[in-house]
Amino acid sequence: MWRIAETPRITVADFYEAGRESLELDWEANADQAVGREITEVALNRPGLALAGFLRYFAYRRIQVLGLAEMTYMGSLRPDERQQRYRILRHVPAVVLSRGRHMPVYVRKTAGELGIPVMRTRLVTGHFMNAGTVLLQNLSSPRIRVAGTMIEINGMGVLLEGEPGIGKSEIALALIKRGHSLVADDTTILTRDSTGTIQASAVEITREHMEIRGLGIIHVPRLFGVSSIRGAMRLDLIIRMRKPTAEEDDIDRTGLDTATRNVLGVEIPLVTVPVAAGRDLTNVVEVAALNARLKQMGHDAARELDERLKMVLSRKETSS
Amino acid sequence: MSPDPESAAKSPEPLSRDVVVQNRYGIHARPAALLVKTASRFACEILLEKNGVKVNAKSIMGLLTLEGHHGSKLRILASGADAADALQALAELFEQKFFED
Repeated sequence: MWRIAETPRITVADFYEAGRESLELDWEANADQAVGREITEVALNRPGLALAGFLRYFAYRRIQVLGLAEMTYMGSLRPDERQQRYRILRHVPAVVLSRGRHMPVYVRKTAGELGIPVMRTRLVTGHFMNAGTVLLQNLSSPRIRVAGTMIEINGMGVLLEGEPGIGKSEIALALIKRGHSLVADDTTILTRDSTGTIQASAVEITREHMEIRGLGIIHVPRLFGVSSIRGAMRLDLIIRMRKPTAEEDDIDRTGLDTATRNVLGVEIPLVTVPVAAGRDLTNVVEVAALNARLKQMGHDAARELDERLKMVLSRKETSS
Repeated sequence: MSPDPESAAKSPEPLSRDVVVQNRYGIHARPAALLVKTASRFACEILLEKNGVKVNAKSIMGLLTLEGHHGSKLRILASGADAADALQALAELFEQKFFED
């Protein structure tokens, strides 16, 4: 069920799509070259030194950012020399011009000859370098696609998993009616972002939709309002639902032994709940989320009761 | 209730076994969970009795109310087809000090 993590291959087109709004990107030239053009080193580079002639260690696998300094320097060169210098960019994945700058005619000519995709951003160079680096890291972060329904319950991101037909979507529906929000039904994408947090989101094409047996596909926000869905959510808790068995060895009856599952290198608390007929699982799931939140806040009911019990029991012993 | 021939065949008198709590902390959450897990493997009804108070051995919260501290004497009562095996399995846990200490 849990596939091996894949580190995605990122193309210039992916970068443009992801950053079009947040990085305020626009195409300047050769947009048609961006599709399938891979960014093999996922980072940004300012090629000042390379343009000045120092080519050793030139990070040509990265996206190159030309800011005010680079442009002013290049503008100071003789046209033939300038064109020669620009040729060092022929192997880079893409070029970004900052501050909304358009290409000078000579750059346009060179870019056209070299076939490099050129974008411009309205951001200033420093800001673009920071925001662009975070975006690239998130784009390239390891991700897995898992079978499970992702719900936000009172600020906690909860992944419900279990065999098809065990009732994940029905529970999600009941939770939505109680005011909680759907992140993804049935299939959830988990990624580890640049801060080491696991983020859950829906597959774009089925986002906002659910399949309920007997009803078919429904559109959640149209039925329940915009607050019934949310785009992405941190993963705080996994709830595994399964049919009751004779042994029940994996069921923690006290809550003292918090199980976890390793998700992309991060340990996520895991609760296993047997699904017996007539059990109100919506309630159980809701309380599991609240209890996990209490634990995050440092209150562990099971541990606190156990400590009190031990104290009482040892006092009884000495008095008896 | 109509007389059920099958339950009539079960011994009406429960089997019992006296045990002593031997682990240091007594029946706190972990031992209680262990008792419940073990008891739940058997079909018979199992009770734990201390000073005349009886609780169901398949209920964690029930067991905790017994306040079974170190040295206290309990009686296990079991009635049903597999009562003898259940007694044996539960008494074993007490003797093993619930695998604590």
